[in-house]
Amino acid sequence: MATTAIMGYRVERRSTRSPLAWALALILAGACALLVCAGLFIAAGADPWQAFAALLKGGLGSKRAIAETMVKATPLILTGLACTIAFRARLWNIGAEGQVFAGAMFAYWCQSTLGDAPAPIQIAAVIVGALIGGALLGGLAGILKARFQVDEVISTVMLNYIIVYALSLLLQNGPWTEAGSFFEQTAMVPDAAQLPILLAKTRLHLGFLFALIVAAFVHVMLLRSSLGYEIRAAGSNLRALEFQGVKITRLIIVVMAISGAVAGLAGAFEVYGVQHRLKSGTLGGLGYTGIIIAILGQLRPMGVVAAALVFGVLLNGATLMQIKSGVPSALIYAVEAIILMFFLIAWAASEFRLRRLHHVG
Amino acid sequence: MNMPVSPAHADATTPRLHVQRLTKRFGALVANDAVSLTVMPGELHCLLGENGAGKSTLSSCLYGLYRPDEGDIYVDGREMRFASPADAIAAGIGMVHQHFVLVPTFTVLENIIVGTGSGWRLPAAEARRKVEAICQRLSLSLDLDAEVGDLSVGQQQWVEIVKALYLGARLLILDEPTAVLTPQESALLFASLRKMLADGLSVILISHKMNEVLQADRVTVLRRGRVVGSVRTADSSRHELTTMMVGRALSIVDAGERSHGGGTILSVKNVSLRDARGVSLLRDVSLDFRAGEIVGLAGIAGNGQRELFEAICGLRPIDAGEITLDGQRLDSCNPHEIYRMGVGHVPEDRFKDGLVPDFSIAENLVLGDHREKPWRHGLTLDVGRLRQAANEAIKNFSIACNGAEAVVRRLSGGNAQKVILARELARASRVLLCNQPTRGLDVGVIEYVHRQILEKRDAGAAILLASEELEDLIAFCDRIAVIFRGEIMAVLPGRQADIAEIGRLMAGGTDARAADKGMSN
Repeated sequence: MATTAIMGYRVERRSTRSPLAWALALILAGACALLVCAGLFIAAGADPWQAFAALLKGGLGSKRAIAETMVKATPLILTGLACTIAFRARLWNIGAEGQVFAGAMFAYWCQSTLGDAPAPIQIAAVIVGALIGGALLGGLAGILKARFQVDEVISTVMLNYIIVYALSLLLQNGPWTEAGSFFEQTAMVPDAAQLPILLAKTRLHLGFLFALIVAAFVHVMLLRSSLGYEIRAAGSNLRALEFQGVKITRLIIVVMAISGAVAGLAGAFEVYGVQHRLKSGTLGGLGYTGIIIAILGQLRPMGVVAAALVFGVLLNGATLMQIKSGVPSALIYAVEAIILMFFLIAWAASEFRLRRLHHVG
Repeated sequence: MNMPVSPAHADATTPRLHVQRLTKRFGALVANDAVSLTVMPGELHCLLGENGAGKSTLSSCLYGLYRPDEGDIYVDGREMRFASPADAIAAGIGMVHQHFVLVPTFTVLENIIVGTGSGWRLPAAEARRKVEAICQRLSLSLDLDAEVGDLSVGQQQWVEIVKALYLGARLLILDEPTAVLTPQESALLFASLRKMLADGLSVILISHKMNEVLQADRVTVLRRGRVVGSVRTADSSRHELTTMMVGRALSIVDAGERSHGGGTILSVKNVSLRDARGVSLLRDVSLDFRAGEIVGLAGIAGNGQRELFEAICGLRPIDAGEITLDGQRLDSCNPHEIYRMGVGHVPEDRFKDGLVPDFSIAENLVLGDHREKPWRHGLTLDVGRLRQAANEAIKNFSIACNGAEAVVRRLSGGNAQKVILARELARASRVLLCNQPTRGLDVGVIEYVHRQILEKRDAGAAILLASEELEDLIAFCDRIAVIFRGEIMAVLPGRQADIAEIGRLMAGGTDARAADKGMSN
């Protein structure tokens, strides 16, 4: 018995989790999150009903609103998937943040060296470049771990800083800086390289469809492929895999590279689908939010898509919420965090139970 | 000499321990169902039962680790309710767990008195006198100033026992105390136990080794949480006790006549192995394995058995020597290639080394071969074929489970071992390596595992079998190699091997016959 008792109570892991208890916990967590958010809105001097209504209307109220929600969800689906792939193998890749930048930068380099190529070739260059750029940075952390036993949490966080500042360097009167511009940004990318718009009069671009395809691909990869089998096995018992002669070092590097490649797509899609130029700053936070998305999605690709869409609603609706009720749109990040916290509490509540210890009679 | 003495209010007719209809539930599982037990002063009482019969739960209730849902515990006639082990210790109950709870960097004396001092002062001087007296009474030579980390496992167990006596135990619970001991050390333990019993101490011995069980005064047999019976050992027999424990009469697995000693399949020549710090793990080990032959490996845990298995499987690079399978050198092959050459490996720790606990039975059955035909179908695993193979294995090996998709984590040790056996026996066309294949398993499953190994032998495979159960090795092995500190001390012919001789070699003694010769010269 290795459990410790605190104030007469002991935390025990349940042997099985009942789906009913899980559903109940989730509903309760949702209600609690709403309550706390309402309190937050009141503190910000707004009517919570009005704020929530505006949030929903802004996120889902019209065809355009829904399209914009999908735009916001696109990079989060990809970074959420990137984290899912690594986390399933118990590799704590905190580097999706940097891998987003690496993907965007490598895609920009590939596309811009092409010059005046036809659109399909330019877009292919963007996608391939994004995959390679993300894979290089993720794979580097993988090599550091596999060959030199450098903890991936440390290396990925450090690489995040390196890559973000490297981009700044390139954009601050550097080779990529837009001629005559005061801002840290490149010139607009050519029309031929921009991702096609899927729905007229909206910003919904090809990247969203692509992200869904990647999600389906990751789903099949994890559940059915030999590589997915090894990823899941590594997440459960790495030693048993080692005993079967599976090359663990290779597996670590491959998983980190694939995780990085998927995150890299998120960066390139933001640049070529939404911003249409590479700026320092606008890509920040996508990778870290991906960690939250992966956890909310329970490390399942379909869950990740759902969680990313919910966050898309929040991010997109925040603007209308600010206009209509005066709640600062930045408060939406607090809402995100509140959702995560209550979700984790719900998870713990359904996985563990508190048992009261009897006292001596 | 102040050995444990019964308190004034108790006399020889008051039971030291009386358990009245104790029930302990874990959710829907009834681990102890109205268990009653009486232990008299000076009695050696054995708790016998298969895994999951409720022995550990009962002893945890007696030691205050669990609180029973129903029932009463009386110690020396007084009703007790233990909220924690501290209460149990105060009531005179001591327990030696299978896994010791000692601080390796503390000395023996420090380990014994840790937690006993009141206030700031450690009662070192009086404690030393008291501990020395206990050791003297038991004729035990224990260096009180040695660091516990430097002691052998057997000595560490003595530290635990002396600690319990120092804390004033009048009832000592020993959980499988001989699992880590050589036969000689076990004999010494029982001799010392007799002395303590003569002083009025009561002992509850948890064991499933019949020769130990039969040394007890009384045996209480548990099955599925219930007491099947409580008998005086003198009035019972090995056969009766086994039948009570298992619930049916067991047929004894007969190794039969050795089919044939064929040609050498696997050869280990002058293999040496060191760890990262340069400590020798295997020293110049040479062993040949012939077709249709079982070679036993006897040794105290941690003397290089694991390393030998891992070296053969390519899991550990060797520093010197060579290992050949059918004449082909294995030293440069990776484990997967070696398994593909017809080698099956049942590893020591089934859940840590052999299985992916979160995977289904079907997925675990192809572990390692998941990139090979016929499991691979293009880029993906052929799920249909996987399930079909799993259903066959579940039927052939009578694995108790909810089907091919059952998660291995939820299986019992015996059923988990059957999953590994199903996988490894299918591979082992040439060589089967079994490291402690029956450890911790129920008698019925042990019988089954032995049959499977013998079948493989009859099919002409070369087999290496390491086991702590020396009786099993003698019954099944054609030759028995004894390993001590990474060195093969001797290879003895199997059926005629003398258990005492094996025991002495396990402790590092020289070959008995060589010693005899030296005497006569």
